[in-house]
Parts: sequence; C-alpha cells; structure tokens
Amino acid sequence: MLKLSWNAADHAQALSQCRFLEGPRPGLLASGRRAAAATVSCCSSPASKAPALAVVSDGLARVEPGSGSLADRLRLGSLTEDGLSYKERFIVRCYEVGMNKTATVETIANLLQEVGCNHAQGVGFSTDGFATTTTMRKMNLIWVTARMHIEIYKYPAWSDVVEIETWCQGEGRIGTRRDWILKDYATDRVIGRATSKWVMMNQETRRLQKVSDDVRDEYLIFCPRESRLAFPEENNGSLKKIAKLEDPAQYSRLGLVPRRADLDMNQHVNNVTYIGWVLESMPQEIIDSYELQTITLDYRRECQHDDVVDSLSSHEPDETLEAISQLNGTNGSAVSPATEDYRQFLHLLRLSGDGLEINRGRTQWRKKPMRR
Amino acid sequence: MVATATTSAFFAVPSPDSIAKTTRPGNGVASVGPMKSKSASGGLQVKANAQAPPKINGSSVGLTTFPDSVKIEDGTPSHPPRTFINQLPDWSMLLAAITTIFLAAEKQWMMLDWKPRRPDMLMDPFGLGRIVQDGLVFRQNFSIRSYEIGADRTASIETLMNHLQETALNHVKTAGLLVDGFGSTPEMSKRNLIWVVTKMEILVDRYPSWGDVVQVDTWVCGSGKNGMRRDWHVLDLKTGETLTRASSVWVMMNKHTRRLSKIPEEVRGEIEPYFMNSPPVVAEDNRKLPKLDECTADFVRSGLTPRWNDLDVNQHVNNVKYIGWILESAPLPILESHELSAITLEYRRECGRDSVLQSLTALSGNCVDDLENSAEVECRHLLRLESGAEIVRARTEWRPKPANNPETAGEVSAESA
Repeated sequence: MLKLSWNAADHAQALSQCRFLEGPRPGLLASGRRAAAATVSCCSSPASKAPALAVVSDGLARVEPGSGSLADRLRLGSLTEDGLSYKERFIVRCYEVGMNKTATVETIANLLQEVGCNHAQGVGFSTDGFATTTTMRKMNLIWVTARMHIEIYKYPAWSDVVEIETWCQGEGRIGTRRDWILKDYATDRVIGRATSKWVMMNQETRRLQKVSDDVRDEYLIFCPRESRLAFPEENNGSLKKIAKLEDPAQYSRLGLVPRRADLDMNQHVNNVTYIGWVLESMPQEIIDSYELQTITLDYRRECQHDDVVDSLSSHEPDETLEAISQLNGTNGSAVSPATEDYRQFLHLLRLSGDGLEINRGRTQWRKKPMRR
Repeated sequence: MVATATTSAFFAVPSPDSIAKTTRPGNGVASVGPMKSKSASGGLQVKANAQAPPKINGSSVGLTTFPDSVKIEDGTPSHPPRTFINQLPDWSMLLAAITTIFLAAEKQWMMLDWKPRRPDMLMDPFGLGRIVQDGLVFRQNFSIRSYEIGADRTASIETLMNHLQETALNHVKTAGLLVDGFGSTPEMSKRNLIWVVTKMEILVDRYPSWGDVVQVDTWVCGSGKNGMRRDWHVLDLKTGETLTRASSVWVMMNKHTRRLSKIPEEVRGEIEPYFMNSPPVVAEDNRKLPKLDECTADFVRSGLTPRWNDLDVNQHVNNVKYIGWILESAPLPILESHELSAITLEYRRECGRDSVLQSLTALSGNCVDDLENSAEVECRHLLRLESGAEIVRARTEWRPKPANNPETAGEVSAESA
C-alpha cells in the first residue's frame, strides 16, 4: 500500500529485506539515524542478472540487485539492462478479479504500487513506495502522491500474466513522475499505461517544499535522463485539469468509512482505497454496462481512520468522446446517453462533516465488450 | 462462496507427462548441458509418477542403467541393458565408462547444496501451482506482496484466506474439473449445483511478512455423507516452518433453488478419486458458537455496506471479506497488542450489494479493561444484516504479538508516524 510518510520502521523493513541467504534477519534497528548510517552488503547470487550499481553516497544503504531474500531471487522482476527502469511480471489471482471476470482497477493500482515499491527496493532506497534518500530523511522530506492517472485498454483475467515496466523522472523543482507500462505477457501487447506525479512534502509541517539540485540528483541518478513518457502524445488525458464538481451531484454515496484493511502502516488511508471510494458513487447501470477505461485522481488531502467521506459523481460532457460516439452511431439520429459507447464522469471525494475536499477525479468508461 | 472467472489459462497447465519429461534438476537456472536426458543412447532418463515431478536427492528418479554401472543411492530397479549395446561389445565398454562418469557426476551434483533449495519451485515460475504427491495434493507458492500486509507489517488474515481460496480453485482447475468459476465439476454444472462453504477453521502459527514466500498445499476429503472437506497447510518456503493450517467443510447447493443437495453419484465419481484419506489438519472444533445480540455483545458496529470491490462475479460478497467486517467490531486494544491465532467461521447466509450489516463482538471471559495485558483472549462474533438475518458466526482466539515485531522497534525511533 502506498505509504505517504516514511519512518524508521520502513527503513528497518528495507534493510531487513536484504539479508544473507542463510542468516537470520538483521536485528532490530531501533533508531532512524543508526539505520541510515548502516551500510548493508549482501552476497549476490550467481543467478543475478541485474547490473551492480555503484554506491552513490556514503550514508545510503546499498542492496546488490539480485541478492537478498528468497522472494527477491524468485522475484519475477528485475532492473533492466541499463538499470534505469524495472520490469516485473505478475499473475492475476482469483480474488483479484471482480464482477466482470477481469482484474479490478484496484488490483491494477495495487500492482502498480507493488512494482513501484520493488523498483525502489531494487535500487536500494527505502520502501515507502518511492525512494527517499538519506538527505531527504535528514530534512524530513517525504514523497506524496499528487496525481494518479491510469488507462486500461484490456483488463487481464484470472491466471493472465501481466508484465509491468516502471521508471521515474524528475519534473520541475519539487516534482517527480513515475510511469508504468502494462503488457500482457502472452501477447506482448500493451494493455495499459499509467503515470503519477509526486511532490516533496515536509513531514512535520505538511507543506510542499522545494529542494536543492544535489538532493534531487541523489535520487535521479537511477532515472532516465532523456524524457521518457508513458503518455508522449500531446493533449493526453493525464495532463488535463480536473474541475471541481458542483453541487448537486448526479450520483452520490455518503458515509464511507475506512476499514482496517484500508489503512497503511501509518494509519493513513492508502491511495488505492480512494479509487474504490470514487467508484462507489457510480450507479448500477453504469457498472453493469460499462468498464472503466481511464481514471485520473488529484490527491488533495489525506484521510485518517476515523474520517467519514462522501463520494459524489456527475456526468461530464466531453466533446471528443461525444464525437466518437456520434461517428459510431447512425447518421442523423440522436445518440441517447444510454447507448453511448463512452461516458465520462467527474468525481469529488470530501469529508462528510466540513466538506473539505480530499480528492477530485475524472473517469472515462467504455461499453463492455460482449464476453462469453 | 468462491466464485471467480474461468478463462483459458495463459499457460496451458502442463500435462503430467510433460512435467515428467522436462524436469531435470536445475531446469530453470543452471542448465546442465550434458545431463539432458537422451533417449536411445543409454543416457540418463527421468521417469516419474504421473502428476508428480521427480523428486531430487534420491527418491523416485528412475534411470536406465547398465547392470555393472554405479548403483544409484535410491535403489531404483535396474533395467535390462539395451540390446543394441549388447551387440557391440566395444561400444558397451565405452558407453559404460561414459555412463559411469555421468552418473558419478550427477550423484555429486545432486548432493550439491545449491540454491534455491527447492528446484521444484522453478518449474512454477509464475506461481500457477502444480499437483504433487500422487496426484492428490495441490501446491502453489505465493510471494507476499506489499499491499497484502496489514497495519502491523505482516500479511493480514484476509491475505492468508485469499491464498487459500486461490489454491482451492487452482486445484480444481489443474485436476481438470473446473467448468466455471464456482469450482463446479462438469456433472455438477449440468445439475446447477455449486459448492458452498459452511465452516472454516484457521490456525495461524506465524504471519508472513512482505517478501516472504509461502508454499500452500491443499487437498480434499469426504466429510460425512454429503460433504467435502478441504484442508490447507501453509509453510514458509525458506525455513520450512508451518505458518498456517486450515480446514473447511463444503456442501452442495442448487444455485437456482438455493437448496442443499445430496452429492449425486455421477459427481461422486468425478471427485472421489481426488479424496485423500487423512484426518483433518485442524482438529475439528465442535464447540457450539453461541448466538449474540445487542444485549450480550460488548461491541457493535453498524452500517457496514459492501463496496463494488467486495463483490464476486455473481454479485455476492466474497466470503473472505466477512473476516474484515468481523474484525471491524473487535476492540481496538486487542487489535493493537494481539494477533489472531485462530478463527472459526460458520457461514449461514450470503449477502449482496444492497445489504447493510452489523458486526457484533463479545469477549469470552476477559475483562474489557485489561485486554492488552491478557495472555490469550477469546471473542465470539456475529455478522448479520441489520434486519437480523445471520450471515456468519465466528470465534476468534488472540495471543500477544510476537516481541520481535519490527513495529515495536519503529516505535522507539524519534520519527513520528
């Protein structure tokens, strides 16, 4: 689960993941400072294929790629040849499949998060979903997700193997972008793309913070230098601004409460839960006839375990989508909303009590293909 | 109810024969060229039982050998020498010598403690699982993913139950009996019959953490005259220790009438060959689960509603989700200081999207105030519709969290959570 903050326990976890094959887990690393100073080296297994990466800073814990826990060696993922991106394969399990007999979008989001975590771990950074360097920790800086955009062209089904490639790049002074490409391993066709924007926030003040170039360079060393975008096309949906939903909303689901399973290690609601909440207000007729093609979420505020949330949705007319629908329809006849091939909705999640916005989103839906 | 999609598996499930032929030690990692089995030259040949991969280190590896060649340590029966070699005495000497070298090298090599310790898991790189042990046990490995761990940094009980559910379905699928996503066999499907779980007991010895790899074994037995029992055994692949044991009881129901059904003869014919005759892996807990209501419960949580993501293909709530709801009303002190060591569930009724549920918890015997310091705590639970119909009854047992939990280490640090 995406953890919005980092603490010493995460780092202890990161180091404990890198362990000698025969030995027990390293002992408890009680203080953050001690953990940061420790340089852990692990023997690399002969089967390791990933390139060894040089130590970049003295305080940074290094993990030889390919070494470490049993899961690491069996891991179906590894850094690519140039070390600048990470690929991993996942098999879709039966309980990750939803009403459509295909993986749910929450499953996809979980896998994106998992591969992001594994990438970070693979290059030796802490395990909060994205790298935090020693300097960042000294300055009390953490990464927080600002925006998430996922497009799925074909949902995988139970037992399908999905290969996900991920990489990260800097964006502006305070931002970083993590991109993903999802492929069906059997056919090697792209079944989805995703991009996310992260900003640096001071953990104490909870305010966004700019950082100096050398701090940024510390983590950007593992990112491709030339711009590599999952969404290279112009005017792509991942950049489009999302308006705030006006009252009254067409559809709503009120009184959503975080469950225990929704909370991450730091008792914050994890990012994938928001996706579920956004979709909660969708009515049965949409869920029955359409499948989610795109979801874009702007994260504004975090949610705690005792918050109560309202989920609101309204149909958002989109000129391009309607043009496509009309092209598909017969000439001259009005295309009624019920038979449109594509629908678009605007969403808002806000606290029940004071109405403070938690996040806003947009979803695009396409008519379900006729399955067996 | 377990009801999920069936689709053509991406990887065709390997037939037992192909498993036997292609399996050589180290097939996945260090390919050993000269060791590849050759057919007619007196080279090494691997034989194995149907549906059981050849085991390494001694057992059940059949080899064609020459009468006077090196004896294999497992004492497999030697086969008569191939006739064409007998006709070429000079060749036979040469080939015998070569074979001796090969066999000696193989023996050496089989004794190498090479990692990973379990070559069979390399045959299953995508975690599809396979049938082992004379065709009756299904085995699948799972690597614990980051989103499967709970607030206390270990895999949640829902994750464990999800793995059990996945292996159950894959077992049926690999045995060739899966017709639809409900786990129904062909004869069942013809009669609109489905399996419904009535009881589940899970004992957890230790919860795995992120990055651990667990091996789940599952098998089925008969249960009474008209039921089936499915057992699971979960162990840590690296250390070999048992992590979890679970046992479940299933009955047959007509999916349209929702009435329980006897097992028809034709279905018996399909499934009985897969029954193992073994005692339950978890001793059956026959204690009655008493009824609870607002008066007898210590904690009540109302207004629980299923989300879209909780629903299975049939738009019923997946039964693993019930555990999450049951724990919603468990007292917070217990959840923070203790971990679930055992849970017994009695499934009564299913619920769907529009249900509104209530979760009730009663402590058995312990005083509410001093829960954190209690050694063992037992609770009784009831999940029901707000209108009163019972969905699940449960009993949970809790023990204090292990002392070397990294979470407690993290709390000592200066950083705030």
